[in-house]
Amino acid sequence: MVSAIKQVPEPSKGRSGETDAQSPPVERVAPSSTKPTPSLETDRPPVPEHGPEHTDALANVPALSFRARLWGRRAQIVILRVLRLVRTGLSRALPGIRFLLRSLRRRWRRSLQLRTVLTTLLLSISSFAVVGAYLSNQIANNLFQERLTQAESETLYNVKQVQETFDGAQVTNQSSVITLVYDTLNAVEGRGNVIQRRYVFEAKPEQTKPRNRWVESRASDQLTINVIPPELRRAVQESGKEQFWASMEFPVGTEDRPGIAVGNLVTFNGTAYELYLIYDLNSAQMTLDEIQNVLWAGGAVLVLMIGAIAWYVTRNVVSPVSHAALVSEKLAAGQLQERMVVKGEDEVARLGASFNHMAASLQEQITQLATLSQMQQRFVSDVSHELRTPLTTVRMAAEVLYDARHDFDPINKRSAELLYNQVERFQSLLADLLEISRFDAGVARLDAEPTDILSLVTHVLDGVAPVAAEYGSEIVVICREKGIVVEMDARRIDRILRNLILNALEHGEGKPIHVSVAANESAVAIAVRDHGIGMTPTEAARVFDRFWRADPARARTTGGSGLGLSIAAEDTKLHDGWLQAWGNKGAGSNFRLTLPLRQGEAIVKSPLQLEPADVGLSVRSGDRSTLVVNSGAPASNTPALEAAGQGVPEESGREEDTRDH
Amino acid sequence: MKARILVVDDDEALAEMIGIVLRNDGFEPVFCADGGQALEIFRSSKPDLVLLDLMLPGVDGIEVCRQIRGESDVPIVMLTAKSDTSDVVRGLESGADDYVPKPFKPAELVARVRARLRPGDQKAPETLRIADITIDVAGHLVSRGSERISLTPLEFDLLVALARKPWQVFTRELLLEQVWGYRHAADTRLVNVHVQRLRSKIERDPEAPEVVLTVRGVGYKAGS
Repeated sequence: MVSAIKQVPEPSKGRSGETDAQSPPVERVAPSSTKPTPSLETDRPPVPEHGPEHTDALANVPALSFRARLWGRRAQIVILRVLRLVRTGLSRALPGIRFLLRSLRRRWRRSLQLRTVLTTLLLSISSFAVVGAYLSNQIANNLFQERLTQAESETLYNVKQVQETFDGAQVTNQSSVITLVYDTLNAVEGRGNVIQRRYVFEAKPEQTKPRNRWVESRASDQLTINVIPPELRRAVQESGKEQFWASMEFPVGTEDRPGIAVGNLVTFNGTAYELYLIYDLNSAQMTLDEIQNVLWAGGAVLVLMIGAIAWYVTRNVVSPVSHAALVSEKLAAGQLQERMVVKGEDEVARLGASFNHMAASLQEQITQLATLSQMQQRFVSDVSHELRTPLTTVRMAAEVLYDARHDFDPINKRSAELLYNQVERFQSLLADLLEISRFDAGVARLDAEPTDILSLVTHVLDGVAPVAAEYGSEIVVICREKGIVVEMDARRIDRILRNLILNALEHGEGKPIHVSVAANESAVAIAVRDHGIGMTPTEAARVFDRFWRADPARARTTGGSGLGLSIAAEDTKLHDGWLQAWGNKGAGSNFRLTLPLRQGEAIVKSPLQLEPADVGLSVRSGDRSTLVVNSGAPASNTPALEAAGQGVPEESGREEDTRDH
Repeated sequence: MKARILVVDDDEALAEMIGIVLRNDGFEPVFCADGGQALEIFRSSKPDLVLLDLMLPGVDGIEVCRQIRGESDVPIVMLTAKSDTSDVVRGLESGADDYVPKPFKPAELVARVRARLRPGDQKAPETLRIADITIDVAGHLVSRGSERISLTPLEFDLLVALARKPWQVFTRELLLEQVWGYRHAADTRLVNVHVQRLRSKIERDPEAPEVVLTVRGVGYKAGS
């Protein structure tokens, strides 16, 4: 519109006709554009176009509403599709993202170095952001202030010049007035090819005084009064002669540039005009941008460098530590010869040296222990052999004498009997002792294979039948199953059961003994219940102790070694089973052996109850003293005491249990 | 005629004691205190049974057992002080038929000896078959087709016991009673080791047996 003419900064007088011809449209356009401005804020160019379109739209409301609905539907569909796409994308990417997050979290937890470097980076980035923001703010302020001061003084001067020119002007005819005003204003723009300042010249609205109708408004380039912030206009309009400024944006070509508008009132021929001079801040903005770019780049480089430094420093500190961790892991895994690399004399080197020292003494100790264990094993084996050969001879000789005892006189006969019995007892003790020391040396090995435990029970019962007859106890087997195949070392289980039953016979006072067998999906249980003297909780707690007897004053009727139950506990532990004892003074006792059906599987629950069901009936619940002694395994719902610690079920065979009956 | 028994043991007292017991029960003991001379004495004395201590100076018992087994099917009963599984199994695998762990009772020893001397007297002419194996009981012959298979008396007894009742599953305890003559429980490893040895001789593929089958959790039976 106006720009075509105003592009040329210094139009000569000769061209004024042309400008004249063009000015009326300016005048005409101006009111239509200025009037809506107060309400429309800074909306500049589209004002003239708004009107026609609006009326057009009003004319075709139904068509437009239909179209709007159509577009609305289309938009809805597009939004739905996009949403679906996003959702499927998310669901595809989510596992990956989750994995990434998880691995990152793991790294964060596990890597001290990553944590330190990331923290350092974050902290330095935030401190740079603060410092950078402060710096660029300060610089921008300074630049602006400088420009503002300059703008204000320049405006003051220019406005004064304009006012003086206007005051001295002779108002004769329209064209000369217009020429004068325009020339004056053009002079304000500055000299040379560079526009130093732009202006907006506008008649102050709502004036009561008679007005100069020849000059309404005028501005540099394509500027209109709309670029001037309304607040500034209001301030200028309401003031007398004061000068106001405001920062604003104005269009140059296609871009918007920042600027300062300084406004004043000038009077020409009795008419008040608002004169705004607009100072371009583009160069200042560019300088600021440049500085900010430098700040950004410098900050980024610094942050990267700090990150690298942090990485390097932490690596220096952390790598010996992680090396130590690695080495100690290897040590723990049994690679006792593993050592740390020691360099220099600093703290890390000291750590390494003391670590190595520790590892060396550990290795020494462990080797010593291993040798000791080996020696013990050898010793057991040697003692076993060395003792057994002479014992065999003695035993055979004793038996030959015993068989011939009827030919001896009474003294020799009794001696032969004593010799024979005590050799038997000695032999049984020795066998038990050797068995126990085998367990202690950790050389006992499980020789498990699937066997029917019921036939084993029957077999054991056959074996102990003579002893049972001696005590007068009846042995009752309670079992619903026809056969239960258990993966077990039959000889050991045989020994355990025989020990339990003999123990029950010994303390059963001739009353019946119940042997219950039951299985569930993971375990089999055998409970040996006697109804004899029973035991107190303290006694039950010690029942699996070696050489322990409930009553030391009691006669040793069966001549057992006192190791039977200890060996049973060890044998059970070897099977990963449970051997538990329950006792009640006067109500007898119950020993429960629970074995996993398959080796290597854990027992979930014992198929049999440890506390016999018949107890609650005969004894008042208040008097009931329940005590459970556990061997090897956890579990049981009643308070449990460990009778045997966790050993190392390992290697090698066993003694033949020669305390046969 | 008295059965002659070679006692290979380096412990003189024990050997003498064993001699007393054996003589008492009507056997004729021959002694050898050194593993190195065991084979020589075995050849010269031609015993009906060998009692062999596993721990011997010079050549050890297992080696002696292997040497004797190399030239004879005579029953061998080991005397062991170490009843570690590995030792017992090694002894059995080297060819011993049975073992007696120290310290043993005289009656136990004599029972073992008698049990091993028992077979061979009364055998009716009888021909048995398991899978593709033919057993001539009286002639003590085992063959697959025309191929002869050589078994020790114990292995032969084991095979015959299984073959006589091919419908029956034998528990290890039952086999111990029938083949080894144990009245009470004994070490079932005896059965395991001997079944393995038997399989290595008569099976085409001992890993996939056809003649002597394992019945899991119970024992063994003859193949069909």
